[in-house]
Amino acid sequence: MWMLSFVPDSILYLVVIGIMFSGISLYAFSFITRVLPPLLPYTGMIRILGTILTVVGIYFFGSYSTEMEWRAKVAELEAKVAVAEQKSTEANVKIQTVVKEKIKYVKETRVVIQEHIKTVEAKIDSICKVAPEAIDILNEAAATPGAKK
Amino acid sequence: MNKLLIAVAILSLTGCAMFETPTPVKRNFPSVPTELMEACPDLKKTEPTEKLSEVLKVVVDNYGQYHECKIKVDTWVEWYKTQKDIFESVK
Repeated sequence: MWMLSFVPDSILYLVVIGIMFSGISLYAFSFITRVLPPLLPYTGMIRILGTILTVVGIYFFGSYSTEMEWRAKVAELEAKVAVAEQKSTEANVKIQTVVKEKIKYVKETRVVIQEHIKTVEAKIDSICKVAPEAIDILNEAAATPGAKK
Repeated sequence: MNKLLIAVAILSLTGCAMFETPTPVKRNFPSVPTELMEACPDLKKTEPTEKLSEVLKVVVDNYGQYHECKIKVDTWVEWYKTQKDIFESVK
């Protein structure tokens, strides 16, 4: 059935309509055979064939309509997805710009504070001496919990 | 016969989609800014020293590291919310 997707919609539509109206025409024709004696023996056969073609044609018409409806829905959804992907990319660019700026600011602030420490280094170190235990406690707190030593 | 024909025709109009099963629309998972994919490093440890200024420098570095990681986590949350809203807008 997938091969039918290669057939242009207009041709498919014509074939479906052709089958349906052939059936209806044959069915209607079967009532005229009364006035055409040579065709009288085939009346039943023509009517059955007309009926079958009509039913098959209507079935195909229903299938065709459903198929077209689905194709339209898929196309609509594809368009929405394309718009969403565009929005997603734009949002990412915006987020990326903001995060870069924030991180840059944090790094710059850290440099400023480090420079500030340097200016008062002598004063701080002259007032206070750090006990080795304090360093151990600090490092213990800084260690990643659960990480191998 | 005619009533049967009408009934069958009406049922047929419901038409199963026999021509082609519609292809599901492919959606790509949104990409993540590279900055957010970097793992947060471990906190720095202080070398044995008596100088408080040396300790301070490490503490300041660690604070800075925390702020960077906080930004990343907050941005992850924002990224998730934004992308979720965009994803859910397609129906």
